[in-house]
Amino acid sequence: MYGGGYIQEEKQEATSPIDDAQKLAEFEARIDRGEKIEPHDWMPADYRKQLIRMIEQHAHSEVIGALPEGTWITRAPGFRRKLALIAKVQDEIGHAHLLYSAAETLGKSREQMINDLLTGKSKYSNVFNYPAKTWADVTVIGFLIDAGAIVNQVANSKGSYGPYCRALERICYEESFHLKQGHDAFITLATGTKAQHDMLQDALNRWWKPIMHFHGPPDKISEHTAKLMRWKVKMATNDDMRNQFLDMYVPKILEIGITIPDPNLKKNEATGQWEFSDPDWDEFKRVINGDGPCNAERLAVRQYVEEHGKWVRTAMMNPNQKVVIPFA
Amino acid sequence: MEAIKNLLFRMADDELIYGHRMSEWTGMGPIMEEDIAFSSMAQDKIGHALANYSILEKEFQTANPDKLAFFRKENELMNCQLVELSNHEYDFSLVRHFLFDHADFIRYEMLSTSSFAPLAQLSKKIKGELKYHVLHADTWLTRLGNATEESHARMQSALNELWNYALGIFEPSDFEAELIAEKIFDGEKVLQQKWMEKISPIIEKANLKIPSSSAPVYGGRKGYHTDQLQPLLTEMAEVISSEAEGTEW
Amino acid sequence: MSKIPLNTPVLDPRIKRVDLESTYGTTAIGENEHWISWEVFHQKKRGDQHVHVGIVHAPDAQLALLFAKEQFGRRLACVNLWVTKSSDIFSFSYDDEDIFDNATAPEKQYREASGFRVMEKINRYKKSKQKA
Ligand SMILES: [Fe+2]
Ligand SMILES: [Fe+2]
Repeated sequence: MYGGGYIQEEKQEATSPIDDAQKLAEFEARIDRGEKIEPHDWMPADYRKQLIRMIEQHAHSEVIGALPEGTWITRAPGFRRKLALIAKVQDEIGHAHLLYSAAETLGKSREQMINDLLTGKSKYSNVFNYPAKTWADVTVIGFLIDAGAIVNQVANSKGSYGPYCRALERICYEESFHLKQGHDAFITLATGTKAQHDMLQDALNRWWKPIMHFHGPPDKISEHTAKLMRWKVKMATNDDMRNQFLDMYVPKILEIGITIPDPNLKKNEATGQWEFSDPDWDEFKRVINGDGPCNAERLAVRQYVEEHGKWVRTAMMNPNQKVVIPFA
Repeated sequence: MEAIKNLLFRMADDELIYGHRMSEWTGMGPIMEEDIAFSSMAQDKIGHALANYSILEKEFQTANPDKLAFFRKENELMNCQLVELSNHEYDFSLVRHFLFDHADFIRYEMLSTSSFAPLAQLSKKIKGELKYHVLHADTWLTRLGNATEESHARMQSALNELWNYALGIFEPSDFEAELIAEKIFDGEKVLQQKWMEKISPIIEKANLKIPSSSAPVYGGRKGYHTDQLQPLLTEMAEVISSEAEGTEW
Repeated sequence: MSKIPLNTPVLDPRIKRVDLESTYGTTAIGENEHWISWEVFHQKKRGDQHVHVGIVHAPDAQLALLFAKEQFGRRLACVNLWVTKSSDIFSFSYDDEDIFDNATAPEKQYREASGFRVMEKINRYKKSKQKA
């Protein structure tokens, strides 16, 4: 039986160097049968570690992702767009909440995760290190960045870890609204006045590179990747997800008279694979390592928020309460 | 008729500006759970503004809600100054939330029996939302007022700073007598009395003190505003006014 | 000291208003600063069961309910929510999953409606009557 003592037990296991062979075999057999792993189950230390890393980064991306769009709420044109944008950004914070909760069940506290975000130890999606310069940027993010995220999230929702799948199920439901409102705003600009159209084209030109970076660098199929895919931690390769994204969304961009700033972008009908110019993976690496246009600002904002919210949180702390890992 | 229009504009402008201020907390709240709460209330408030502008359009053939909200000049807005002040810290925002939302709740409660049917209907429709806003405000005020020395001091100083602005909510209009006679609305004076009765015991429960001297900040209802409103209005208009009016966005 | 060097000027009006320069950039979240966790149970409509939907962090039950309302009652139909401290939930271990194994086993058909073939018997009787 499990009650409040759970936190100790699991923490020890997570650092245990020996992964019992029979337990591993049972664990893998369960995954092969398509069953989910639940928080209290035995799991290989590496499975736990990789899941925490992945879910945590996903959560950070939601929190940081709320910034470029959030700053456009006061400027959003008209009631309809404004209300949709507040609700959308609110959902993203809600996603972060659901994801941190899922990661917590693996034994890392929310506090630790946020600290790792603040110190830069833990990463978030690279795209949010680019600025949202105009209203058109908001529509590009809402439509195409959310679309990219959906490809990823739908794949991951079929993964093996129960709490992550449950969180993603709710997230995907809300993402369908994000995508739709983004698409709607995107089309409105594309088919609107010349200034609106040009503003959108300019935004897409600036965002195309980060969009091509979104699913990560090309896979070198390492043993590591193979293991994570076997354990259903990673559900599709970066290239597969990017290809799926291009399949679904390139036509939707072109059909309304917006062009894509890559003359080499085309689908190879024989292989089913999209071909494109090198999206500059050096830039991707530079930005991930802190040298993007907005990295410092994004973290500074989070720092500011945490600093100024601290008095509220500490005022309400109760040292007599017993902290345990949630069951989420 | 001018009387009802005036009332509707005051309410709508309050909710519009206050909703925008609340929305600025989206993604910046002290903890995620609370962040989500403030965004919900921002949506509710902006939604209420939209509802009131829509009544104006439908019943009085004014311009459409987007035009009323995003194309009017600063001196045409009739919101009280309380709602336009910048957010400052969370203490300031919470105390304003407490002071404004109790007035808002009671105002709509009074309007639920209004002879002006559209407002009576709206009042019934949003009763639950307002009830939640007040519950949220009371919960925080009573906790932070009683939690630590720091949180208590912060809440008290926010209350001191905001009190006179809060009294400005009840700045009488030129139409009080008419609204009362026509049974549209019982007037700002009655509202203020009810508000005082309602919030006083909660403030006491929060271990806070209502400032002893008071000097209501009036002017907002007549189009006089602090220097904090115009920058927000400029932002609100930035995108929508960059193209001809009526352009779809 | 200027605490956090920014690579590019801040574009966002909301961020400009908050005086980012005042940020020290060294804040750390203390353990338990996000309070304890509460399990949330959601009832979609009267007559339905309350169903577990996730958790919130909150310092007390009242705030836990408010937060639960936001995270789990803002988008979905809802008439009621329960919260309870995560530390007050007790559960079986998944290691003991096998104790539930035979709940639906064929050997336990004697307690299922489908385990009884009434019509077969009635038809057999009717047939035998016809013959007679
Ligand atoms: Fe999201
Ligand atoms: Fe999204």
